Amino acid sequence: MNKYNTFKQEDNFLIHTRILDAPRDLVWEVWTNPQHLKEWWGPNGFSLTTKSMNVEPGKIWDFVMHGMGQNFDNKIQYIEIIKPSLLSYKHFGESEDYSFTVSILFEEVEDKTLLTMKSIFKSKAIIDELNKQVNAIEGGKQALNRLEEYINQI
Amino acid sequence: MEIRRDVFQAIADPTRRAILGLVSLQAMTPGAIAENFNSTRQTISKHIQILNECELLTQTQSGREIYYHFNPIKMKEVSDWVSQYQQFWNNKFDSLESYLNKIQTKKK
Repeated sequence: MNKYNTFKQEDNFLIHTRILDAPRDLVWEVWTNPQHLKEWWGPNGFSLTTKSMNVEPGKIWDFVMHGMGQNFDNKIQYIEIIKPSLLSYKHFGESEDYSFTVSILFEEVEDKTLLTMKSIFKSKAIIDELNKQVNAIEGGKQALNRLEEYINQI
Repeated sequence: MEIRRDVFQAIADPTRRAILGLVSLQAMTPGAIAENFNSTRQTISKHIQILNECELLTQTQSGREIYYHFNPIKMKEVSDWVSQYQQFWNNKFDSLESYLNKIQTKKK
């Protein structure tokens, strides 16, 4: 089964695939219903509050992640919704350049659901830039914790 | 189309990770590496080739033998933003997976 769990970079795309042992309708449900999302979306130790959610093209999922004694505001704008097979949204970054779109494809494979998630950045240069920033911050293992916090915000 | 060989692809494979683990301790010949695995020498040699192509291994010649060394500089790439993004989502998928298991068990 693990052969379905992959990750690769192609130019300005980062592509995750994952097989989930659940029917597609249920997988769709847990991605689009706040009651389900709060159970798994947040990183370990985080809780999540949805302020508003409207799963329609152009509409917003506005939520807050609570963790490490702080609140992190998050906003996702849905772009394309084809129930139950395609969900795409825009993730707002620090600036327009760092914003990226994510498209998640849900396919039925042998009673399971194959999820393909593409994160599409403005350019490969943006990804390289993020890598450089992270390398610069890193310096030592200690920085990793802070970095994780940063990653969790974006 | 040219097949891209990047570090992420290279370390996605458990055998290749094991090879890296071995040569990070000491430089080794292909034969010595292969002795640690049940796979054929040919298979191991293919893995070594991939690791070499993406510069995770470097090679030196000593007499008739080729020795492979681990290249830590290249490995640094995997602690960059991309690998953190990868890890971030892998963790989320793990948590999604166990949540799905939980709610499905309840139903049964």
